[in-house]
Amino acid sequence: MSKDNNNLLEVKNLKKSFDKKEVLKDVSFSIPNGKIIGLLGKNGAGKTTLIKLINDLLTPTSGEILVNGNKIGVESKKVISYLPERTYLNKQMKVTEVLNYFEDFYENFDKEKAEKLLKDLDLDITQKLSKMSKGMQEKVQLVLVMSRKADLYILDEPLGGVDPATRDYILDTILSNFNENASVIISTHLISDIERILDEVIFIDKGKIVLQSDCDQLRKKENGSIDEIFRRMFKC
Amino acid sequence: MLGKLLKYDLKYMIKNMSVFYILAIVFAIITRILLSVEQTIIATIIKNITTGCMYAMVANIIINTLMRSWVRFRDSIYKDEGYLTNTLPVTKNQIYNSKFIQALIFFIVSFVIVILSIAIAYLNKDRWELLKNYIKGITTGLEISSGLFISGFLGIVFLEMFNALQCGFFGIILGYKQNNNRVALSVLFGFIAYFASQSIVLALVFIVGLFNESVMGLFTNTVLLETGALKILFALSMIIYIIIIWIMSIICKKLLNKGVNLE
Amino acid sequence: MEMTFDNNIPIYIQVLEYMKIYLISGVFKCGERLPSVREFSTTFKVNPNTMQKALAELESMDLIYTERTNGKYVTQNTELIEKLKDEYATTLAKSYFQGMKRIGLGKADSIKYLEGIDE
Repeated sequence: MSKDNNNLLEVKNLKKSFDKKEVLKDVSFSIPNGKIIGLLGKNGAGKTTLIKLINDLLTPTSGEILVNGNKIGVESKKVISYLPERTYLNKQMKVTEVLNYFEDFYENFDKEKAEKLLKDLDLDITQKLSKMSKGMQEKVQLVLVMSRKADLYILDEPLGGVDPATRDYILDTILSNFNENASVIISTHLISDIERILDEVIFIDKGKIVLQSDCDQLRKKENGSIDEIFRRMFKC
Repeated sequence: MLGKLLKYDLKYMIKNMSVFYILAIVFAIITRILLSVEQTIIATIIKNITTGCMYAMVANIIINTLMRSWVRFRDSIYKDEGYLTNTLPVTKNQIYNSKFIQALIFFIVSFVIVILSIAIAYLNKDRWELLKNYIKGITTGLEISSGLFISGFLGIVFLEMFNALQCGFFGIILGYKQNNNRVALSVLFGFIAYFASQSIVLALVFIVGLFNESVMGLFTNTVLLETGALKILFALSMIIYIIIIWIMSIICKKLLNKGVNLE
Repeated sequence: MEMTFDNNIPIYIQVLEYMKIYLISGVFKCGERLPSVREFSTTFKVNPNTMQKALAELESMDLIYTERTNGKYVTQNTELIEKLKDEYATTLAKSYFQGMKRIGLGKADSIKYLEGIDE
């Protein structure tokens, strides 16, 4: 355990290759408590790979990841609430069953809160997930993830292909439900939609971290929106 | 946490298997009723159909217990559901143990249901006597009681099939370590593990045979087993199977603990 | 209370401007207790840290103050608010006259135009 710093998340010299292809090249960064951080990069830049490594869904080729000073494992999983970029629940299950499942496994899951949020969505929680549209399933997943009192929320592309009303709903849900002192990592390539709620940004390109900065400082320094700065930097 | 994991694994299997269990028993009961009534043409036709259905269900139960256990294992660890399973605050050992116990429980239940269905359909006093005599015919001169013979035989079949099931888990774990052709490689690795474990059982029995002539009779004498050899053979193979299953489960957990790589 | 933001300008500065206008226009009155940072950040849909930063700025200007356990309050000092209102009004008026000057109209003419406009 390294307690010489108080960072919530510490990534050191992380590398990941698939066969011979290097997807992450020596990535190092850290994230303190109480921040909303945008992990920004084009498709295929390595965002999802990085997130999957933090969540034990991939094994690093080399390097280290520490959460509250602990290596990835049971302890890190207790405090990370993760929203993958896909629907991942067993579709045979009803929403109520999924709620019980989360309550069974996560001590920090607030079932009442989840029920309230689902009610706001006008959702029939006795319905099986397979009977719901993909968009609805994604909202259910977001509610589940945001109803945990976690230290670190990791949301992978929560805005991928949603309409503006849903986008507002998602941003509201994130803002009004994340735990104080907790940090949120939001990965996206749709920067303009999300930049107003971010504290910090991390730009990732071709498997490397190219920039980590406070948002407002960056706006002042580069004289433009984060979206513009990103476009300038990567010419897209 | 193991209990909680197991709860959901068992729920899944109950959802998927209970239909086959119920149908097998129902068809068995109908078959028995039709066997006992007067054999009109219609009754005979229906009887043949329900008998066929019963056997289909029995086959279904056997195949599905294997397949469902494998599919559940793969889906909840390596497919989309793996995004949930692998991010739960549980250890990989707990995940594996849950799958192992779930498979074991359903193997026993399936085994019982299969035997029960066949017994319900056909067993009566005359057949029971016939069966007893038949087994007696085999066991006479082998210094083994009929009860011991049956339980030994069923025990070995059970362990051998359960070993096959776990070889499937092993194949999946190794197959899904690769970046491509995961399904095909899983099957391949599973088969290799199965043949390897079978060969080890045979080799170990042979090694024991080097020191015990009555066991060696199994390899040298093709016609008849020597007195007392069967008992030793049963005990020996069962012990070897249990050890292999146990070692294999440790290897599987070691491999699983190295981490997963989800698509 | 809706805020729309220009992503080109630091968000906390924009929040600060909105807050000043809310104070001047009396949306939040003198001595009134302000909503919590969290409540603000959900209604304005901004990051709580950004909100915090804007409120800290207001506090350093003495426009609001913190009572240790009860949260933040608008200053009791009406003069300060009036002064702020005055500054804002002056700036707005100045920019109006500057605009009119650019199209060649003097102060007297400009005032005439103002009087001619129905509110």
